[in-house]
Amino acid sequence: MILIFGGAYQGKLEYARASFDAETVCDCSDGSMPDFTKDIIYGIDGFVLECARRGREAADFFRAAEDEWQDKILICTDVSQGVVPVDSVIRAFREMNGRLMLYLAAEADQVIRVFCGIGRREK
Amino acid sequence: MNVFISGGCKNGKSYFAQKKAKEMSEAAGCPLYYVATMIPHDDEDRARIKRHILEREGWGFITIEQGRELSRILENPVVDSSGVFLVDSVTALLGNEMFDDEGNYVETACSKVSEDVMNFAEGTGNTVFVSDYIYGDADRYDHLTEEYRKSLAAVDRALAAECGEVWEITYGMQERWK
Repeated sequence: MILIFGGAYQGKLEYARASFDAETVCDCSDGSMPDFTKDIIYGIDGFVLECARRGREAADFFRAAEDEWQDKILICTDVSQGVVPVDSVIRAFREMNGRLMLYLAAEADQVIRVFCGIGRREK
Repeated sequence: MNVFISGGCKNGKSYFAQKKAKEMSEAAGCPLYYVATMIPHDDEDRARIKRHILEREGWGFITIEQGRELSRILENPVVDSSGVFLVDSVTALLGNEMFDDEGNYVETACSKVSEDVMNFAEGTGNTVFVSDYIYGDADRYDHLTEEYRKSLAAVDRALAAECGEVWEITYGMQERWK
């Protein structure tokens, strides 16, 4: 699995498409569940936000589906660098996203950070 | 060579950019220009500008005030376009274009600023651009703020692709991305 992360609007999906042989994309930005039949799972943070709203742990979902994403590209926005949010759900989302990224980064074969459209391998 | 610098607020971007621009002008033996992008609206702005002018004292910068349409600088006959330019900041340029004098949102600002800074980069070839990394928040903002973040990111990415060097500054530490 390849994990790609970076701040909002940094060009993570464009980078993935340009750098890897991947065509189909599942976009979870609107909160929908990841569809692991696709090559790229994008906007995972959107799914995490939905999990936070429902009080479920996003990392548990990924652990349970472990066999399904081993050869996928997973893309998640890093939301850990800003101000602590006032809203308790957004606060929970921010922490849940961090726990998921920790797990996925540990499991990943490659971890890439994208900054202003430029990717760099961190693992 | 053009240089793009970004990072969080109060992380030392401007100081690094000033040093970089000064080194470039010394190496090339050409004039060193500071492009002041802030358009003052109140006393707080005017005090900040005064502080910035004091901070640049003794560095040898020639100040050009240009809050909008950077490319116009190249039409100025007293400006040497082969000089080194420090543009601090792209963030201010976009802010100045995104709202008109009545405070209305201008939708075309992103493409206009993108085109303008790219023309300026190509026209000078020796510009240091400073921008702000405002993409690490968990909170989702109101529509206009999100448009602003998205637009600045688009301008940043275009510049990062164009510039020969790309740097991220974190509390005075420099990381080169390109």
